[in-house]
Amino acid sequence: MRLYLRTIGEQWRALLVLLACSVIEAVPAFATGWLVERAVSDGFQRGGIAFGIGALGVLLALFVVGALGSLLVFSRLGSVVEPLRDVLAGAVVRGVLGMRALPRSRIGESDVPGILRRIEDVRQATGLLLGRVRGLVVTAIAAMAGLFVFAWQLALIAVVPVLLSAAIVALSMPTLLTRQRDLALAHERAERSAADVFAGMRDVVSCGAEATAAASVCADVDRQERAALAVARVAWVRTVAVGFGVLVPFLGIGFVAPGMVAAGQLTPGAAFGVLCYLALGIVPAFGGLATTSGTAGKLFTALHGLGGGGRPDPLPAGSVAPAHTGLSLRGVTFRWGPEAEPVVDGLSLDLVPGDRLTVVGETGLGKSTFAALLMGQLEPERGRVLLGGEPVSRIAPAERHGIVGYLPSEPYLFAGSVRENLAVFSMCSRFARVPDGRLLASIAAVGADEVVERLGGLSGEIGHRNRGLSAADAQLLALARLYASSAKVVVLDEATSHLSAEAEARVERAFAGRGGILVVMASRQAPFPWQGRVLVLGVPGHARPQAAEIRTQDAEIGTQDAEIGTQDGEIRAQDGEIRARDGEIRAQDAEIRARGVEDRRDTAEPEFEHAIPRQARGGEEPRSGSTGRERINGADVPLGKQP
Amino acid sequence: MVDRREAGLLLLTALTVVAAAATLVAPYALAAVADSVRAGELDWPSLGLLLAAGAVQILASGAAALLAAGVTARLTARLRRGLTRQLCGFGTASPPGIGAARRGFSADCATAGTRPALLAALVSAVLVSSGSVVLLAILDWRLVAAFVLGVSFAVPLAAHARHNLDVTDADGVDGADLGEHRPASELSALLRQAVAGLRTIADSGITEHEARRVLRPLPLMHAAGADGWRTAARATWPARLAVPFTCFAVLCAAGFGVAVGRLTVGELLAACCYAALGLSVVTRIGLVGELARARASAGRVAELCAAPAPRAGTAKLPPGNGTIVLRGVSVGTTLREVDLTVRAGSAVAVVGRSAVGTEALAAVLGGLRPVDAGEVLLDGIPMAELAPAQLRSAVSYAPARPRLVGTSFADAIGYGSWAGSRAVGRACAAAGVGGLVARLPYGHHTSLRYLSLSEEETRRLGLARAIVRGPRVLIAERAHGADDLAFRSLRGKTRVVVTDSMTTAESADTVVWLAHGRVRAVAKHEDLLAQPAYRAVFAQGGPP
Repeated sequence: MRLYLRTIGEQWRALLVLLACSVIEAVPAFATGWLVERAVSDGFQRGGIAFGIGALGVLLALFVVGALGSLLVFSRLGSVVEPLRDVLAGAVVRGVLGMRALPRSRIGESDVPGILRRIEDVRQATGLLLGRVRGLVVTAIAAMAGLFVFAWQLALIAVVPVLLSAAIVALSMPTLLTRQRDLALAHERAERSAADVFAGMRDVVSCGAEATAAASVCADVDRQERAALAVARVAWVRTVAVGFGVLVPFLGIGFVAPGMVAAGQLTPGAAFGVLCYLALGIVPAFGGLATTSGTAGKLFTALHGLGGGGRPDPLPAGSVAPAHTGLSLRGVTFRWGPEAEPVVDGLSLDLVPGDRLTVVGETGLGKSTFAALLMGQLEPERGRVLLGGEPVSRIAPAERHGIVGYLPSEPYLFAGSVRENLAVFSMCSRFARVPDGRLLASIAAVGADEVVERLGGLSGEIGHRNRGLSAADAQLLALARLYASSAKVVVLDEATSHLSAEAEARVERAFAGRGGILVVMASRQAPFPWQGRVLVLGVPGHARPQAAEIRTQDAEIGTQDAEIGTQDGEIRAQDGEIRARDGEIRAQDAEIRARGVEDRRDTAEPEFEHAIPRQARGGEEPRSGSTGRERINGADVPLGKQP
Repeated sequence: MVDRREAGLLLLTALTVVAAAATLVAPYALAAVADSVRAGELDWPSLGLLLAAGAVQILASGAAALLAAGVTARLTARLRRGLTRQLCGFGTASPPGIGAARRGFSADCATAGTRPALLAALVSAVLVSSGSVVLLAILDWRLVAAFVLGVSFAVPLAAHARHNLDVTDADGVDGADLGEHRPASELSALLRQAVAGLRTIADSGITEHEARRVLRPLPLMHAAGADGWRTAARATWPARLAVPFTCFAVLCAAGFGVAVGRLTVGELLAACCYAALGLSVVTRIGLVGELARARASAGRVAELCAAPAPRAGTAKLPPGNGTIVLRGVSVGTTLREVDLTVRAGSAVAVVGRSAVGTEALAAVLGGLRPVDAGEVLLDGIPMAELAPAQLRSAVSYAPARPRLVGTSFADAIGYGSWAGSRAVGRACAAAGVGGLVARLPYGHHTSLRYLSLSEEETRRLGLARAIVRGPRVLIAERAHGADDLAFRSLRGKTRVVVTDSMTTAESADTVVWLAHGRVRAVAKHEDLLAQPAYRAVFAQGGPP
């Protein structure tokens, strides 16, 4: 709303031009009473027909001039309204794209048409307000001004009731606006629930819930009906107020003027002219205004909707530069609500360049949430996430984006060339444009050469909605993009879920050999030794585990160690063959990595971190290396759940 | 006995007529008042008449508008409720298509609902216009001649404007492509794509870059929009002259009348008012088109509601454990004379190369698809004869791509059932979404719109929705991953799972192997495994 007003204000030059044109538009209304009176008093009544017709002809000519004025105004509307749309669209798009979309966006593709429709509504309503409504207001004001100049003695009687009714209209405005907004919301809600039910009819039927569905839609329809009636009631009050506001002046003049004329304070012509102003100027203008009263409500509703839907969550923008690219978690706890199960609880963990962490958890247990914590997109409830020794949320966004690279399972590719798509992470950062050689090298590294070749090389075009690309192709391209970026910490969130086992192995090898920290999220992946440490999120199959249950379950996992995979071993058994084959590849790979990267752990046995701590488990000795210490640190954080 | 709706319509008609009459009387009273003012004599009767006419006009037209809004809202709501009930009654039997249903609900019902109000407005315009002409004639027949002359100028002006507007409107539709709409839909497509990748954009800090890319069509929209305003301005400005022209003609004629003493000065003013009122039919001629559209919409709604609802069975289900028997069941060419017995309490896997065939079998077993020939017996009673409520409480269906209907997670899972929150929690755990739901800010009371669900999660929630009903039979459509969950849940009940996973087939008591619309074998997985054709079913079906 504020942005809207400011933008309108910024168009003051165009508005001034509109105002100047409005003056032309107002001329006929200003002159009506006077010219008609002259035509009658000095013309027709005295038999001067030619003079009378001449005066009326002048009036007609003024109307032509006025119409030309309105032509000028309307053809210039674009100069105010279109910049407004530009600014609004820019702000809304930036707001939407700058939103914290975590861990899953509350704004979806299906919201886009609604957002754009609201911008269009704002544009059209503004055009109507500045065009037609402004014209009517100008006409009414001009007629009142003419009346004032022409017969000031009667002006008070004529103008005060009109202004009073205008005041009532203005006072009822907030009520009207809120009720119109409620109506629009009720309307949207009813349409949405009906669309949901119609689209899910098969589900509704299979639930035997036809009556429930019909009842819920009907309830929304009823709500909409009541909202429409509420709007009509306010509109009625306004119509009646305006009606009497216009009627009373006629009565007042009919009552007062005869006496004044008889007393000689007023010429008969002047009194007649006042009636002409009222009947021919003010009445039609107010009648017109009554029919456009919905415009302001439309504008308000649309602006309100945009304010609610497109407001960016301000990301805490830090300004610190990290000293190094190591990642540390200190007693990190996060949950989505006070009643919710924690995603991580008192988790401590250190990752240095060359480290690799595999995060395992069933769908919906918070892998993406964990990724968002690592990247500073979410603030932990307790504890700290440190990147290079600094809290990750306090690091300057540009620095952070340069260091941490993230890839979700549904990669984002846009309509444009392959080169544009692959280089996008580097274009906005402080790093120079990525040379083609580097892009090609990363394409080769992740095994996306075939896809890129099919698209026609780096200059090949990717269509809207990834047309012509399979989900696997899109993932490969996104992996190549991330590989080419400057990221020192790479987070792959089920980023290889659509790839074949061979392609997946190749990608993992490529990223393992790339250096830096690698965090891989997987829903059901055997934590093989070469996958580095393994963090198990939640406990599969348990909705609300008691503390004891976590412990036993944890202990089980702890002792079973690498066999944790058996939890969903059934699924995996069938591609055991493939795994075995690529196990060889990975084993080689582990060797390469052992040579290439500084490795703190010589043991091939994987380490398990647990999102939910087990410090209450007496006698369990800390794990090897630095991680053990951190877990003890994590234990310092008080935990309400523990006995 | 007149019902409320008819009473409303009658009242609306009466108020419209009264308001029109008062509108016509007001200028006459005004003329008398104007003359009394000029004469300097207070004229109480005329003032009283003006007050009465004005007040009646304001109150009657205000009441008519309020009533019209009420009638519109009620009629729209009534049509929408009727349509919703009709479509829900139909279920999946013969749906008119989601698009048609949505259009019918949102657009057609709303347009059709405005019909009485439009009719009232048109009646009012016609009454006022014709009354004005008659009153002009009563004042002086020459005025009518002048009015006709003025109108013959004014109407072409108004018509010209309408024509121009129509042309621009038409341009807007197909020429959308030249101007306004193509860049707009381009922007929409770009923004949709960017919103789909919101997480990547937010996490990699490329907001500004992406915003610029999305906004690229904006200058084109700007230019097209500015053009549109100019075109509209050129098209409409002559229409503003219609009333001044007519009034000019009538005033000139009235001037003659005043000059020769046929008319008073007040009557001249009244004549001008009548001339403007006489044009109201011309200026509101658009109502005719709107009325035609409303009629067409009402026709479409009636068409959607006209088809008779399918006959529902009434039989009650005897106690049983969920045995389903198919006897010679055919569905088009996808299933041909299928004979099958699903034993109570068994876990059955349906496999087959053709997704269409296996899905059709699942739908038939779930009672969601009527059969063309043969019969489907649930615990001895033909499904078609069962009362719908009886059938649905006994047979649950977990679709491959469920659409969750309802507000919160609990609402969507217990949809249409009496399941309490503990039952919902157990069902969630059984379907493997307990962890997800437990991590939501308000547990299963969290709104469904709070987060976007992945396909897998949606499918599992659909499974939970099937489990929570505690049915005799659970039918699960082909799913990758969650299907053995269906076997692991509801132990002791009949479970039928369409699958392409060997693991699932292995854990089933019986495998039903469909080929070319017929049952090729019903046996244990191990026994079938020797046949290469059977193994080929799984080799081909993998994740897409």
